Amino acid sequence: MNVALAILWKDLVTEWRSRDRVVAMAVFSFLVVVVLHFALPARDAEEARRLAPGLLWVAYIFAALLGLNRAFALELENEALAGLALAPADRGWVFLGKAAANFVILGAVQAITAAVFALAFDVDLASIAPSLVLVVALGSLGICAVGTLLGAVSVRTRYREVMLPLLLLPLLVPVLLGAVDATAGLLETGTLRWRSIQLLLVTDAVFLIVSFTSFEYVLDE
Amino acid sequence: MSVGASAPPPAIAAQGLAKRFGPVVALAGVDFAVPAGRVLAVLGPNGAGKSTLLRILAGLTRPSAGRVAIGAGTAGDGDHRHARGRVGYVGHATFLYPNLTARENLVFAGRLYGVADPHVRAAALLAEQGLEPIAERTAGSFSRGQAQRLAIARGLVHDPPVVLLDEPFTGLDPTSADRLAAHLRSLAGGGRAVVLVTHDLAQAAALGDRALLLVRGRIAFDSGAARADAAALETAWREATAA
Repeated sequence: MNVALAILWKDLVTEWRSRDRVVAMAVFSFLVVVVLHFALPARDAEEARRLAPGLLWVAYIFAALLGLNRAFALELENEALAGLALAPADRGWVFLGKAAANFVILGAVQAITAAVFALAFDVDLASIAPSLVLVVALGSLGICAVGTLLGAVSVRTRYREVMLPLLLLPLLVPVLLGAVDATAGLLETGTLRWRSIQLLLVTDAVFLIVSFTSFEYVLDE
Repeated sequence: MSVGASAPPPAIAAQGLAKRFGPVVALAGVDFAVPAGRVLAVLGPNGAGKSTLLRILAGLTRPSAGRVAIGAGTAGDGDHRHARGRVGYVGHATFLYPNLTARENLVFAGRLYGVADPHVRAAALLAEQGLEPIAERTAGSFSRGQAQRLAIARGLVHDPPVVLLDEPFTGLDPTSADRLAAHLRSLAGGGRAVVLVTHDLAQAAALGDRALLLVRGRIAFDSGAARADAAALETAWREATAA
């Protein structure tokens, strides 16, 4: 547990000083929202509500891909990843620390993106904010769990910028299904659809357990 | 080196270590043992398998065959975590985070290794390495020599009984190199087993209690219990690399 907390602290301090990931992710997701706004203009409030869940999660996924790719690229400098692999602890804790940092950083970007999205698509997200935070947190947990695992796998491949999306996007289908459906339910009725929440919970649990247990081998050379 | 009944138990021992990367044989059956308080110098031309050997000893790479015994434990097929905790590894790269200060890098490493009070330990190591005046500067602003001293401090943060160093003299000016050589002697003097990979024959002869010459993954020369002198190492190097 101490290893995970140490890595979380290190990643957040490093990010606070450089801000390279948050800024890149926020600018990128802002541009995605702007592009979507012009590519798929909503004609009325009803259509905006219908399009919003899918488009919001597309922006979130793109921002996450950018951030997850950078998360382990930073560990390549001075071979710091080997330094983490040498820690005399279950390497699952290394995974958990990196995933937690990714989760916090992605959460900050998602909050900014949601505000921009609400303005661009004229959707009232403020009235459903507490429930939306829960849905976004559950969706992000799945994205960060499997994304951190695959980020560590792809970072040592030759085409890592391409490899991560190729590996990650197919696995995110259940997360997207659950998150988009739960967000749609919130926008339509203001209530949570429990079947979507259950799908997110199960997916998160599977991704977390598989990633935690397999990280020992991912960090092996 | 065989360990007799009267010989001290090895702090680290390699038994039949082999490593293949696909068709490439990096190591082909390497055996040695290093008792506490001794320095083993490992020499060899580029591609001889020296760094691979060190990474296997550190627990970063799994061997294709053979095992590593560290103290009473065995890292080849046993508890890797325990073995990693007993080894301090200073590689080609420094493992440092350029955006963290020298002190933060050491505190972070201390937390990774479960050091009881990482702040106290970091302060002690900074003083030991003469880095106190620049402890609050980020590691990214350090010169090669300063970064190397910080990397060595990082490798010693958990006070390991076995220290592995991969070409630690690379890029150091003569003053820094002399200082590092003295520090390596003090590490062994303090009871640590040291495995030093180097290209420098004179350094290997000066620092090593025993020297191994590795060529194409095999031990081509072993000084045994005797301390190898630079001339003997040079002759062995020429013969082995010419063959």
